[in-house]
Amino acid sequence: MSVVPDEKKPTPTNQVQSDELRAQIFQRLHPHAYLDRFLVEGVRPDGRTPEEWRDAFINVGSVSTADGSALVRIGGTTIVCGVKAEIAEPELDTPDQGFLVPNIDLPAICSPKFKPGPPSEEAQVLSERLNAALVSTQLLPLTTLCIEPGRSVWCLYVDATCINYDGNAFDAALLAMVAALRNTTLPVATYNEETGRTTCRSRTTRHPLSLNRDKLITGLSFGVVPTPSVPLDPTAFEEPLLIRAFSVVVDVQGRVVFVEGGVCGKSGTDYDGDEGSTLIEKSIQAAQERAKILHQLLQ
Amino acid sequence: MAQSTFDRRRVNGPEESFSPVFDEEDDAELGWTVKHGRGLADIRPIFLQPGLVSQANGSAYIETEKTKLACAVYGPRQSKTTTYSERGRLNVEVKFAPFSCVRRRSPLRDAEDRAVAIAVYQSIVSSICLELFPKSTIDVFIVVIENDGIEGCIASGSIAASTALADAGIEMLGLVASCSAGVRGDEIRLDPVEKEAAAADGTVILACMPALSSITNVYQSGRVSVQGALKCMELCQDRCIDVHAVMAQSLLSSRTSTG
Repeated sequence: MSVVPDEKKPTPTNQVQSDELRAQIFQRLHPHAYLDRFLVEGVRPDGRTPEEWRDAFINVGSVSTADGSALVRIGGTTIVCGVKAEIAEPELDTPDQGFLVPNIDLPAICSPKFKPGPPSEEAQVLSERLNAALVSTQLLPLTTLCIEPGRSVWCLYVDATCINYDGNAFDAALLAMVAALRNTTLPVATYNEETGRTTCRSRTTRHPLSLNRDKLITGLSFGVVPTPSVPLDPTAFEEPLLIRAFSVVVDVQGRVVFVEGGVCGKSGTDYDGDEGSTLIEKSIQAAQERAKILHQLLQ
Repeated sequence: MAQSTFDRRRVNGPEESFSPVFDEEDDAELGWTVKHGRGLADIRPIFLQPGLVSQANGSAYIETEKTKLACAVYGPRQSKTTTYSERGRLNVEVKFAPFSCVRRRSPLRDAEDRAVAIAVYQSIVSSICLELFPKSTIDVFIVVIENDGIEGCIASGSIAASTALADAGIEMLGLVASCSAGVRGDEIRLDPVEKEAAAADGTVILACMPALSSITNVYQSGRVSVQGALKCMELCQDRCIDVHAVMAQSLLSSRTSTG
């Protein structure tokens, strides 16, 4: 394949086109070198600085078949999340607690790297991380989902589907789930002792969930590259090139709820102790700044 | 709906859970009498936007009131199967989001998404010049975000798939437009919503290439007289000409805006 431009008479448009093509080929063949060249100059392939987030956008309540829904877009990454409420019997050891079941699906539509079929490893890990984030922060006290202790409780299925995957699905999915839960309303349900059935009176009388307002959380992800910078909010191109990635989850007051190492990137040389801890401190500060903006979006 | 199997690959809820039961159940018969503010031969307004999935070769998002779905095309890419094939393969996969229907759909594949996939496949397969893509596969993936009537879903899916194929630059004989109709007695209603379709005696879905005035797929179910079915097809074909204009316009404006 010849990529050398026509050397006889390069017309300006021809020149631009062949330069673009050469850049594309360079990107495909040497992604690490391609990214490094950008980072050395203090920018990233999409024009951001390493410390810059992508624009976020939230739209809630657009899916009428769900009890609550949200669409979140962070840069190119688009995730739709819907909450479906169903009635179930509680577990024997927790008779007054309902269920919160978060799952994320990365279907084949969202990126060429996913195949149709059962959830990929990445989707499984992501679901577990989201579950851990939502459960450990007690955003929604499960006792508020109780209809009749020991008999019937609400079970909230929080399903997120990725429509367009351009990196950092964790942040987008967590934001979508929190926004969808905020948007969720439940009908008034009553348990009938005689028939043993749980029924709802009306479709129109609905109440919002009693979320812990001060525990609304947002996730913020960072990548670590060999050069001393932490490109935050990585794109799909950058994600596989990171040597480590980690996420910070922050609540409304800016308190760090948890920090965890991510799934992408191969294990490699880490930073030395001091450098590593200042890195994390800096990241947490950046996360707190960003969380303020995201919380405003959520309101 | 009850989750019949425990799936280690997902976060699991309780073994069984049920859709809430309401004291005031609405009558299925009322579906036909409900007013939508549109005429019998009118279809729901279409919002169609090509090129929303940046990772795909071509894509389209379609919204007709409460039916919302996204479609992406990957390919032509190398076939996974080792057998040599002179013609390209078209692969259509449809997935319903768990929250897309009135009752939650368990994420395990059921029969309905395949039925929709086959209907969409039939609608678009004869429009694509598959003989130009030997040894290749063209993957068309559809995610249904919200579903309001399976007939409208198939029609919208075909429209989105054809638009996405055009957006991907795959050579076709023409754009495929599609329209559905519900029949009850002598009354024909185009583009029925879920309640109307449930109350109808029968439904017809037609897919055609208006530019070549040829039909690619007709799907009829339920009890419809021969004259009724033919009348439905005629009405649908008329409406498909309008749909075709919407598709062409959306493709044109997406091209001019991206340059």
